[in-house]
Amino acid sequence: MTAPASPVSVVRARRRARAAGLWREFVATRSGLVGLLVLAVVIVLALLAPLLVPIETLDVTRVTAGINEPPSAAHPLGTDPSGRDVLGMLLWGARVSLLVGFSATAVSMLIGTAVGMAAGHFSGLTQAVIMRVIDFFLVVPSLVLAIVLSAVLSRGLWTIVIAIGVTSWAATARVVRSQTLTIEARPYIERARALGGGHLHVLGRHVLPAVMPLVLANTTLTVGSAVIAESTLSFLGLGDATQFSWGSMLKRALDTGAATAGFWWFVLPPGLAIVLVVLCFTLVGRALEAVLNPTLRGR
Amino acid sequence: MGSSMVRRVRGAMGVLVAAVLALGVLVAPAPASAEPAAAPRIKVALTSDIDTFNPFLAILASSTDILRFQYEPLVVWGPDNEIAPGLAESWESSEDARTWTFTVPEGRLWSDGQPLTSDDVAWTFQQVIDNDALQQANGGLVENVESVTAPDPQTVQIQLTAPQASNPGAELPIVPRHVWEGVDAATYANDTDTVGSGPFVIESATTGQSVEMAANPHFWRGAPKVSGITWVVYRNSDAAVQGLRAGEIDVLNGLTPAQFQSLEGQPGITTNSGAGRRYQSIAINPGAIDAEGNPMGDGNPALRDPVLREAIFTAIDRQALLDTVRQGLGVPGQTEVPSVYADYFGFAPGYQAWPFDPAAANQMLDEAGYERGPDGIRLDQDGEPLRLRLMGRNTDASHQQMADFIGPWLADIGIATDVMMVQPNQVNDDSTLGNYDLYFTGWGIGPDPDFQLSINTCASRPNADGSGATSENNWCSPEFDELYAAQHAELDPGRRAELVKEAFSVLYAAAVNMPIYYADTLEAYRSDRFTGFVTQPTEGGVILSQNAYWGLYGAEPVVAEEAGAEDGGLPAGAWVAIAVVVVAGAAGVLIAIRRRGGADDRE
Amino acid sequence: MTLAESTPALEEEQPRGSTLGRYLAWKGGGAAISLVMVVVLGFFAFRVLPGDPAINLTRGRRVSAAEVERLREELGLNDPLPWQFVSYLGDLLRGDLGVSYVYNRSVGALILEGLGPTVLLTGSAALVSIVLGLWLGQKAAWTRGSLFDRSQTGLALVFWSVPTFWLGLILLLVFSGGFGWFPSGGMVTAGTDLRGLALVLDVAHHLVLPVLTMVAVVYAQYLMVMRASVLEEMTSDYLTTARAKGLREDLVRTRHAVPNALLPTVTLIFLTIGGLVGGAVTVETVFSWPGLGYLTFQGLSAPDLPLLQGTFVVFSSIVIVMNFVAELVYRVLDPRLRSS
Repeated sequence: MTAPASPVSVVRARRRARAAGLWREFVATRSGLVGLLVLAVVIVLALLAPLLVPIETLDVTRVTAGINEPPSAAHPLGTDPSGRDVLGMLLWGARVSLLVGFSATAVSMLIGTAVGMAAGHFSGLTQAVIMRVIDFFLVVPSLVLAIVLSAVLSRGLWTIVIAIGVTSWAATARVVRSQTLTIEARPYIERARALGGGHLHVLGRHVLPAVMPLVLANTTLTVGSAVIAESTLSFLGLGDATQFSWGSMLKRALDTGAATAGFWWFVLPPGLAIVLVVLCFTLVGRALEAVLNPTLRGR
Repeated sequence: MGSSMVRRVRGAMGVLVAAVLALGVLVAPAPASAEPAAAPRIKVALTSDIDTFNPFLAILASSTDILRFQYEPLVVWGPDNEIAPGLAESWESSEDARTWTFTVPEGRLWSDGQPLTSDDVAWTFQQVIDNDALQQANGGLVENVESVTAPDPQTVQIQLTAPQASNPGAELPIVPRHVWEGVDAATYANDTDTVGSGPFVIESATTGQSVEMAANPHFWRGAPKVSGITWVVYRNSDAAVQGLRAGEIDVLNGLTPAQFQSLEGQPGITTNSGAGRRYQSIAINPGAIDAEGNPMGDGNPALRDPVLREAIFTAIDRQALLDTVRQGLGVPGQTEVPSVYADYFGFAPGYQAWPFDPAAANQMLDEAGYERGPDGIRLDQDGEPLRLRLMGRNTDASHQQMADFIGPWLADIGIATDVMMVQPNQVNDDSTLGNYDLYFTGWGIGPDPDFQLSINTCASRPNADGSGATSENNWCSPEFDELYAAQHAELDPGRRAELVKEAFSVLYAAAVNMPIYYADTLEAYRSDRFTGFVTQPTEGGVILSQNAYWGLYGAEPVVAEEAGAEDGGLPAGAWVAIAVVVVAGAAGVLIAIRRRGGADDRE
Repeated sequence: MTLAESTPALEEEQPRGSTLGRYLAWKGGGAAISLVMVVVLGFFAFRVLPGDPAINLTRGRRVSAAEVERLREELGLNDPLPWQFVSYLGDLLRGDLGVSYVYNRSVGALILEGLGPTVLLTGSAALVSIVLGLWLGQKAAWTRGSLFDRSQTGLALVFWSVPTFWLGLILLLVFSGGFGWFPSGGMVTAGTDLRGLALVLDVAHHLVLPVLTMVAVVYAQYLMVMRASVLEEMTSDYLTTARAKGLREDLVRTRHAVPNALLPTVTLIFLTIGGLVGGAVTVETVFSWPGLGYLTFQGLSAPDLPLLQGTFVVFSSIVIVMNFVAELVYRVLDPRLRSS
């Protein structure tokens, strides 16, 4: 799984055995497994989108269907205000929404893990400063900050990724910090220190592998939040309208008055897709957390 | 504390749930349409922001729209956008078009019954001229004014610094001196029990909620037939449409084509597709130049070639964009003057719109030597691929919709595009500084075209840092400037119209800005409750957001049958059906989860 | 904001055994530092927004270059940035948040106007979702594995996965447009002059849909934490002791398990207030609610720097104060901390 390779094969074997055990436990929480399977299907569909729905068929200058057509055999989810197939857009939208979700989470996770470990590892003034920064980002309303960030950076998908990532890492950092504190209190860390291991060695070799499982669980939950955040930013007009994401589809549906006009095939599917994917991430994340977080064991 | 606390919590919970449910049942049967028996107020949706009701400061369109009901200028824009009597019943200009004399008839009254005289007019003008702080909204209107005098209570004389064909008494709202003299005009909120000269005056306003206007019994054309206007704030057009369906509001504009069509034929609702005052266009950066004559911005240098610009415009199908984005509700674009202003609309002889002809566009580029590279993208003179940025506003869905078309069209003639939808502020900044290749733009045009022309003169070019004047298209030419100056001073309306058309045609032919369409303004109203709206123009015009007050001033209540607030038909039913389906679906999911979820919580 | 079952317990950063006074000073100092950071960030973050306010405010109107210049001067945009910051700080200390560029009014007054509706909306939503979430959570824990547990947990998670604005819009279309049960927007019926109970009922009627929307999306986190918390209590030794003493099962629950399980949720409740306030932006937009969230969003379009700074500082301060309160409440409630 996520444990990095260790030079000592015994350790590796032990870790592999532990991972297998965790996987069995994870499978046993059926809701997590169902979530994982649905996600796998969605990801496969997203990856296959260029084959299933060639992008040319979504070229508005080449579409033959009428605009806002209700569902039919040719277009199972009808067409949008430019005559494009909504189902095709939905598949392409999965790519962008998931890409934003994963990338923003990666940003959030990197910052959160690094800052959290530092906050747990260092002491004194350094720790106090880092804690203040974490607290600050926990405290500032993230949507307001994300709005400002996306307005400042102003263009493209990566803007949204950064805006979401930068505003959502604080919770991860807190969790990682407390885990780091727990781990660093263990005797083998003392030993490593006594043997002359520097900050980087201790953090990279001992703390990071130990906090990774927790980060993973946290990450899964964050992806769902990021997908929702993308749609919210799009709704507020701060998304990237040049891409088909589920958020920008919803934005376009609302802007063109599709909701009022009763074009449910353009208003409901992107929203339901978001609900489904976010729910799956939540189920997987919860299951992972239950398996990986020792304090939640047995619940 | 344990059990009693939980019991209390549970009790409170029960009360809350009961209260929420009860509210739905109790309050619902009392619809908002329960009006008193007297002449009703007409409720109008207000879907964009209000800044202030101080006429010296108000900038946002919603505010100035409301203030048009409150304060008359010396002359108003008539039902057909002609100059019509306002505070003044007659006016004339001197031979040299520098002295304008207006006559305010005797017996005119402010809404509080105080006499309205030329003194109020002269005082208002003088305030704007003298006080910098009061020029925020209308400073530009007094730029050419040398002096304004009131030799007697019935006469106003405006002395201009230079000849001017357009009436200097139009637009500037005249305020009552007896009210404004005693307050600090630069900070006065003017939102409670105000005094005005127009058909309605502001009674009260609650930020973000509503504005109440009362009918002015002393309005010189006669008191309105409704007792007032209630402007109801909506921040979401879908909600406003629901409000119209439910009878919570009576008039609504700014509908999307889809919303408009869903309201057509609804019982008790009449739709109105009025000719719009705005042009929607795509502009090309021809190489912006600042006021000192130095190049500014980062526009692609290849676009300085007019042939390339012409080819781009020839590759764009305006009719297709109108048909898709506005579902045909509008007029394909010609010059910057929308079709609603018949006098100035259209081309001067010898000019015409770019046709949609990709083959011709390709030929133009081939002949001009833009070779296609290996990937089909043409190369500019330096051998670089032609890659152009196309900028639009991320707040305007139509920009992205149009970009979806224009990208492939330009690819057909061998030009690659990078579409970017950005914040409106960013568009304003980048377009002012010349930091663009192509971008979507559009202006609302007043009945007098002078301003729109003025922002295309060489004198309107900005300073290098973007400060100073604003150039609409970052383009200028001596030929255009001559035409601008000529029309500015031309007193003969027919001759002036020719000059104006000529000037706009020259601008069009420069291929820097191609109007795509003039979108209709889509409106709807409760025809079972109100009638008699006067559109501007009277044929095919709009009810709200006019250049004057005719639309709502003409409104009268329907008395014959007190029709109830009928709900919308099919779409409403459709949504209920959807709700049922969604609930059923949720139930299904739950059952599925329940079946599968056995091991969710391990012991 | 993620849905975590483990409450991020407040960590002790000060030396053990400190007095309440020292504790207060420590936490208060932290909150004060956060506030200062908010003020600084609020000032500089908005300065880098695209858009020259003077150009944007005068866009599309007949203005001379001199007028634009005068406007820049008036707005203080021509002063050097550090000087702008110093004068901003000075004004802030005197409680003056400046004058909005767009509305020509004091930002303080604008915020006060919007604060009431926002507090009403988020407060009601918080109250309902906390009560609902906690009650469902403890019940679900107590009947773990039952139909009730699984259906309520599942339903809460489904709602938690819904984009707020989308749910709000659908509720609006169904219950306002479709059934006509609730008004289509606003806080009071415009054009009426209601007083007393009638006004309260009218506001309550307008409040139903927006509150319902917010509650649906957020109550899951309270449910989950309460459920986890009660489950933890259920396995603890003292409950076994209590049972062994012969206490009835429902008394075990109401006397011991639930009150103790409430403790960790207190922290969460205050920590989530920030998320709620932030979420108000979209709900206020969908339901035309005259609150602060929408004001912030509008401020971005000019950009109206004083207004943005003001709302940012106020929003963040609310959350900082809430967190401070959370620390205090936690300190007062937790017997382990209290005794030390």
